Amino acid sequence: MEDYTKFRLKGNDELIPLLEAGDDLFILACNKCFKEFTAEDEPECDELAGIAAGLGKKIAGCAKLDFLCNKTLTQKRLVEALPQDAAKIIVVACGLGIQTIADIADLPVCAATDSVSYGGRHGMALTQKLCQACGQCYLNLTGGICPIVDCSKSLVNGQCGGAKNGKCEVDKEKDCAWENIYNRLQAQNRAGELASNPIELRDYSKVDYKFISSYVSSIREKRLDGYYGGLHPSERKELSEHIGLAVFPEPATVVIPLSQHTGAPAQPLVSAGEHVKLGQKIGEAAGYVSAMLHASVSGEVTAVEPRKHPTTGADVLSVVIRSDGKNELHESVKPYENPDSLTADDILEIVREKGLVGMGGAAFPTAVKLKSAKPIDTVLLNGCECEPLLTADHHVMLNYADDIIYGLKVLLRTVGAEKGIIVVEDNKPDVIALLESKTSDIGNIEILEAKTKYPQGAEKMLIKKALGRQVPSGGLPLDVGVVVSNVSTVKAVSDAIQKGMPLIERVVTVTGEKIEKPGNYIVKIGTPVMELVSYCGGVTDDDVAFKLGGPMMGVAISDLNVPVLKGTNGVIAFAPEDSEPSECIRCGRCVDVCPMELYPLYFPKYAGAGNWQGVKDKNVRDCMECGCCDFICSAKIPIRDAIKLGKKEVAAMERKD
Amino acid sequence: MLITQLKPKETIASIAGSKAFYITCEGCREVYFPEEEAAQLREEAAGIGSLVTDYICNPDNLMFQLEKHMEKLNAADTIVVFSCGVGVQTVSACFTGKKVYAGCDTYPLPGGQGVTPLEYDCDQCGECHLNSTGGICPITACSKSLVNGQCGGAKYGKCEVDKDMDCGWERIYRRLEAAGLTDSLLYPVKIRDFAVE
Amino acid sequence: MRITELFDQGKFVITAELAPPKGFHLDHMLKEAKEYLGAVTAINVTDNQSSNMKMGSMATCKALKDNGFESIFQLTCRDRNRLALQSDLLSAAYFGIENLLLLTGDHTRVGDTPQAKPVFDLDSVSLIHTVKLLEQGVDLGGKELEGEPPKFAKGAVVSPCSDSIDAQLSKMERKVMAGAEYFQTQAVYDSEKFIKFMERAKQFGVPVMLGLIIPKGAGALNFLNNNIPGISVPPDMIEELKKDPERAKAGITGVEITARIIRECRDYCQGVHIMTLGWESKVPDVLSQAGIA
Repeated sequence: MEDYTKFRLKGNDELIPLLEAGDDLFILACNKCFKEFTAEDEPECDELAGIAAGLGKKIAGCAKLDFLCNKTLTQKRLVEALPQDAAKIIVVACGLGIQTIADIADLPVCAATDSVSYGGRHGMALTQKLCQACGQCYLNLTGGICPIVDCSKSLVNGQCGGAKNGKCEVDKEKDCAWENIYNRLQAQNRAGELASNPIELRDYSKVDYKFISSYVSSIREKRLDGYYGGLHPSERKELSEHIGLAVFPEPATVVIPLSQHTGAPAQPLVSAGEHVKLGQKIGEAAGYVSAMLHASVSGEVTAVEPRKHPTTGADVLSVVIRSDGKNELHESVKPYENPDSLTADDILEIVREKGLVGMGGAAFPTAVKLKSAKPIDTVLLNGCECEPLLTADHHVMLNYADDIIYGLKVLLRTVGAEKGIIVVEDNKPDVIALLESKTSDIGNIEILEAKTKYPQGAEKMLIKKALGRQVPSGGLPLDVGVVVSNVSTVKAVSDAIQKGMPLIERVVTVTGEKIEKPGNYIVKIGTPVMELVSYCGGVTDDDVAFKLGGPMMGVAISDLNVPVLKGTNGVIAFAPEDSEPSECIRCGRCVDVCPMELYPLYFPKYAGAGNWQGVKDKNVRDCMECGCCDFICSAKIPIRDAIKLGKKEVAAMERKD
Repeated sequence: MLITQLKPKETIASIAGSKAFYITCEGCREVYFPEEEAAQLREEAAGIGSLVTDYICNPDNLMFQLEKHMEKLNAADTIVVFSCGVGVQTVSACFTGKKVYAGCDTYPLPGGQGVTPLEYDCDQCGECHLNSTGGICPITACSKSLVNGQCGGAKYGKCEVDKDMDCGWERIYRRLEAAGLTDSLLYPVKIRDFAVE
Repeated sequence: MRITELFDQGKFVITAELAPPKGFHLDHMLKEAKEYLGAVTAINVTDNQSSNMKMGSMATCKALKDNGFESIFQLTCRDRNRLALQSDLLSAAYFGIENLLLLTGDHTRVGDTPQAKPVFDLDSVSLIHTVKLLEQGVDLGGKELEGEPPKFAKGAVVSPCSDSIDAQLSKMERKVMAGAEYFQTQAVYDSEKFIKFMERAKQFGVPVMLGLIIPKGAGALNFLNNNIPGISVPPDMIEELKKDPERAKAGITGVEITARIIRECRDYCQGVHIMTLGWESKVPDVLSQAGIA
């Protein structure tokens, strides 16, 4: 592997006067990029400290940081690392790192290093191929060998006559690029082209600095919009966004796992052979963090037995009901009288009784979330649906706008918040227009249009974007006075109060380029995923993989004979992406995109070495597993798997302590 | 991490053979790539096969992604690659006996070649000048890369090459002035060393 | 003759600037020079000015010399690397060209051949330094020159009416440090600004020639004011040209203004330099109205 370290220490003739010119020095070194990620520390920092100490200089401190040129993060790290008594910062980094520090530090900043050139720009792999980015690619004329980088004179009309034995006049170790070009073209029977091609003249005005600088500012704006990092994966929502919401045909049998929420599994209230009605409670919440379960059809319980859970893959106790097709309502399903006079406690009880959980995916019991020990001033409704492909929430908002607004008002009352904000991404202008028209006369409800960016819907991102508040590390939204809820959940709150209907169905998007006829359906909880896929025309071919949820955070399933859960917002079928992980090359892209501002590259590194303390120290618990690092990783390392393992091991390590 | 723009449609049409295979690299993700235009071109050209993937500059990844398409690749008379120059060269090195053509031109992107694009750049000149210029790089911030002060071509603080570009040397002067360090500009005459490795 | 000798004698030096043609026929240029520039000390020849490709400055200087004019060879860093610059300096010395004006040069992007590769291997400061080395008998590579080293009058430019005077002075100081022996300024229209500048620049003890462009009309002057670096025009001067467009068009107002600026600044500078831009014919009037010829 090539090592593309971009700097080296200056010589002593420059370093000594530099160090002698000041005192109380703070030495700040970059941990380098684009080199093999080894466990060893980089030596330059200590070397420099040694020289300074030899000169009798006082060192106020030393720090080694990752990716100094990452301005947003470096700014924060610098505040933590900079000692009070430092008078001058000596930077060990490439020109970018030095300029970044010079840009953000109030102290004088000195460079202790010179940059190292490689004669071109490398790719996202440590190979020898370089590109000069000349704006006028010549590779088509030269058999794919670059005459700009590989020829020491960057000639574009053939060799110069300076080569001897195939080697360049500048360096006897270096091949003459034009000899290689000639040989390759000859092997392709194209050598004649060299003579017949028109005369090439380089155009140095091709590189348009205006385009580049406006591009750089636009991409920086996008990346820092609302919160740091995140991604803009291809959305492909057009597959299903214009297909109207339809009721999915009644399933013959539903399988309702007793564990489909965060917390303890529910206790079954029915047994095989019993007849149940629609909306009848069949599982009792077992503890504070747990949720009730209800029959989504009327009919006969045929079994209460372990069945395969779609997301964990394990067999969990489930209630199996054969539908009688009558959908006979249970007597508990009736609207509450005088809903406006319900107290906060009444509402919490209803929300708990009706089995409500977060429907954005995490399925956290809603009653627990709403019972905040801290004062809440704002309720944020997540209508972003930032996952690619999914359009379920989109259709919920289009079809149930009034219910959502009703539910939001209920939430505001329950938690005692002054203000409700519904955040919708700008890729859903129809929803924004509709909600705005319906809330224009409501003083304390606001619609916020957010620029599309993944993972905008994550609680902490949403809070930062909408309110500019930072949830502390390890903290919850309520620590900053906020409750975040998904729009589908709020619609279910409305149903629970206005109709007395428990959470027995939800909107699911069935989509992906491999689904014949994508669509958005109202689906009974417990309906087999298999039925959804076959109803949608099946898949286009056999080279297919499935996920429940979106492509970013969804859970891969291999067996379609599993039920739709309360948290299942989508079933997607796509072409499987094969990849083989290679070594981490410290490209820094995972750090660039991590919305939690973590340094994900360390997780697989430390996990591989069993260094769980290291995993913990890199704040693994702040990770919400959004998958941005996986998505961007140039080495295709399954970083999220290492994180999941790391979380488990850190928890185990702490239990031992 | 580099930016690319598609070559003109006519150029691509003229290089692609009747049996062309198209490889599109959509990585570096989050960095500009004319995805839609490339897709349209591919569709119109109707080659014998195509692959859309990312990070083809990594030869292991490239070969892994190409495995499924080997039959078509072997039958292809040309391989057209939509990627930066590194990607095209990587493909080309894997198929030395085939015509491998570039569908894009590549432009430089300021920043560490992988880390978020930055407002400033490092030219890797090998003799860092930042110590005398207040931490603003005269090589990249000045359109002429002057190392002994401004050229006199700036008007209203903007460069003669581009009215939207700040004069690098005015920025340097302002920063040093603010820090009371304009004396640091009195260094001996600097002459760049282009032989530095 | 080196013009530095004249400065040393306390003479007020007058130079004019001519641009070589896009072609190699100098008849017209020489005719104009003979007709109107008899009173100037030396003629300064531009080097692909504004990055527009023209006949070379060195050959034009040689032709002027052959026709009895003293010449100043402008040399920019835009089109030649350090090898070419040094070898051109030696060639100039062979032709007996003794006066130099050493500049960085406009960027290639601003001229008629934006596709060209901009060189800027050296810049104005390091070029002055290079000339000084050659005068000491060594080249930039540290190799000795054969025989008697050349001797030049090393000129440089400065913009006294730039938006940023402090930065200009700092750069001027660097040029002096590198070996600049005289300065020629960007066109001055604001005498007050020039005088203020000179009060600070006189510390360097290097002669400064006041740069002038005869205004051809209100529109033209406005254009210079808005677009040309280092040029700053007081608003009432544009009004003055607007008053009588016919007079302005005939050059009468422009000549008056130019002569007035010379009179106002004369005590603060050691010479004047007129960039003719085609109005060679007005030079005699300017000089006589200014009372310097």
